[in-house]
Amino acid sequence: MPAQYSDARSEEGSTGMPEFGDSIDLATFEQILEMDDDEDEREFSKSIVYDFFSQAETTFEKMDSNLESKDLDQLSALGHFLKGSSATLGLTKLKDSCEKIQHYGAHKDETGANVISDDNVCLKACGKLIKQAKEEFREAEKALRKFYHDE
Amino acid sequence: MLEDPSYSAVVRWGDDGDSFVVLENEKFTKHILPKHFKHSNFASFVRQLNKYDFHKVRQNNEDGQQSQYGPNAWEFKHPEFKANSKDTLDNIRRKAPAPRKQGQLSDEQIPIQQIDLMNQQMVAQAQQIQMLEASNHELRINHQSVVQELLRLHRTVVNHDKVMQDVMKYLNGVDAQQRRSSRVVFNTGEPIPNGNTNLTPSSNGAPQIDDDVPASPLQHAQQLMTEYNTDAQMNSHFAGFEQMANSFVPGGQMRGSGSAQSSGSMGYSKMSDGQLEQIVYPTGGTNGIDPTYSDHLPNIPYGMPAVGEKIDAGDLRAKYADTRKKSNYADPGWGRTPRVLLVEDDPTCRQIGTKFLYSFSCTVDTAFDGLEAVSKIQEGGKYDLILMDIIMPNLDGVSACHIIRQFDRTPIVAMTSNIRSDDIQMYFQHGMDDVLPKPFTRKSLLDMLEKHLLHLKKNSMEPPPTIGINPSVTQSSLRDDLSAAASPAGSNGTWNSPSQYSGVSPVNPSISIPYGNYMDTNQQAYNSNPTTPIVARGPGLQMPPGQVGMPNMNQQHRRNASDMMGPGPPIDNAAVKKQRMSGNFQPGSMAAPMRQQ
Repeated sequence: MPAQYSDARSEEGSTGMPEFGDSIDLATFEQILEMDDDEDEREFSKSIVYDFFSQAETTFEKMDSNLESKDLDQLSALGHFLKGSSATLGLTKLKDSCEKIQHYGAHKDETGANVISDDNVCLKACGKLIKQAKEEFREAEKALRKFYHDE
Repeated sequence: MLEDPSYSAVVRWGDDGDSFVVLENEKFTKHILPKHFKHSNFASFVRQLNKYDFHKVRQNNEDGQQSQYGPNAWEFKHPEFKANSKDTLDNIRRKAPAPRKQGQLSDEQIPIQQIDLMNQQMVAQAQQIQMLEASNHELRINHQSVVQELLRLHRTVVNHDKVMQDVMKYLNGVDAQQRRSSRVVFNTGEPIPNGNTNLTPSSNGAPQIDDDVPASPLQHAQQLMTEYNTDAQMNSHFAGFEQMANSFVPGGQMRGSGSAQSSGSMGYSKMSDGQLEQIVYPTGGTNGIDPTYSDHLPNIPYGMPAVGEKIDAGDLRAKYADTRKKSNYADPGWGRTPRVLLVEDDPTCRQIGTKFLYSFSCTVDTAFDGLEAVSKIQEGGKYDLILMDIIMPNLDGVSACHIIRQFDRTPIVAMTSNIRSDDIQMYFQHGMDDVLPKPFTRKSLLDMLEKHLLHLKKNSMEPPPTIGINPSVTQSSLRDDLSAAASPAGSNGTWNSPSQYSGVSPVNPSISIPYGNYMDTNQQAYNSNPTTPIVARGPGLQMPPGQVGMPNMNQQHRRNASDMMGPGPPIDNAAVKKQRMSGNFQPGSMAAPMRQQ
């Protein structure tokens, strides 16, 4: 995979594709960038990304409160929700964490294959993963804000 | 209240101003009490008065009064209750439990309170009963509508059943025809490249063959038909029905866009496919019925890889990385702008999906959840394709699809990251046509559009880019599909040169009749429901009546067949075989009339 990405980069080198590190899957993100009519303004992708920022913030807040109230179902739903949008933008790491939150919230292990019946185990795992997801989000957010010259 | 002149006929001050009189007990209870008290109960009003130390003036004690106020009048008195002296009102108090007032009444006090309490309870109960009645009424209405809905569903299922039976009948006919002709081919020896002379006489002699047993896949299918009745199961069968035709679509597409033949030469171009077939299906002494049984399928050079591509996002991305250039996604060349309904609760996915669809020259409508999607379809929204998220608030995608399927056949593609095989099987069972794994890419989305909206495409090589479908365009693209689909039929398509089609043609007239039948029943079935007229929407609209059914069936088949190509475990193998079988025959027989033109 990494080899392909570097191919992609060299190919697109002239348009000045950013270095996002491994927090963002470039191929996925680029196809959104391609939808921008103006490569300087980047109006479309920027609005999507910034909408996503606030969406993620809200979701994290909800995750925190549901963690407190120990509502695993809600945590699972929230994990699923954020998984979808982060995957669409290519925030792979965040997506993976959200998927795990979704699984633990549904009383499964992180692969989703095995059942975990103990609520406390799930809650603990969710708590840890939410923290991790937040960090991954911050990292991606930082890179994206930098890309949009908004630091 | 007492001073209101409009009440004076009912209740008013006594003549002396030191009492008040209720002249008409009933009217007072009905009309006036409810306006001033929480109840409309004269007895409890009297009780209240007693509590406040009003007393009824006994009529028999006071001679003059009786005639004064009438026989039914009730006069009440209180020492401090006087007309025009409001300040004394403050002295009228509820009798406290403590003997602050007249001790003579203290023993009555408790029962009165109790009665009052009971009275209040009764009022509350009456209210509760009223509420219950209301909700009961509501439930009854709901129940009625549910029953009606059930009946309607039942009718739909019955109609489906009928359609399926007609299809089976037709297939049996085609099967018989096919068996005769293929038997002939094999009876006359191994396929000879110029079998023209052999074909014509032998197809005439075909009816003489007596051991005319229906193909086993068809028999099996018939068995299944009798076993299964439910909508969903029918659907999944139907889904697998056309697998065969579908697996060859990519080949057809490639050739269609890659070659610039005139429509007249289209039929010939399929010989290239024919050559392919020879590689795939070594010519040999097969039973001559179905050379494309499932065991051959993995060998088909172009059908299966499409599946891998769909599942393996990494692979996709790799391809994407190679081909990623805006120019690759230019207008796919629709004959008419496709209308797509995007059902997605996540704003990010919705925005991006919408943007991608716009970039493919589609018009896009969006729905936030399944509920909105259902109501959009119910309100008569016509779409060519529905992209449906699965997990959504209020109404999930599968349920929404299930509901929509009761009255509409618009292709629905599940858009989800839950692509385990049992998930996918469930999607298909509820009437979905395909699965687009999330996160989707532009390419995977475009592939999906092209697959399901093939009928909206105009042949990219045909000159007129005008809207409004040019018959020649549709026909040639059709022919494209057909020839691609027809070639796997092998026994005829592979070895016969175009000049030989005349030899086959005697069969056609008899084939076209079952088609007409099928269409009739089909349309009838559709008309009885408010179905999206898939039939009418297809390019076949411009075709002569006898052929109207073909392109649509073909497309329908292809669409459904793609289900089977998906990562999900196919429906039981025998059923699939039968379906391949049918896919096999249909295109072959369909293609024939086309070639004659």
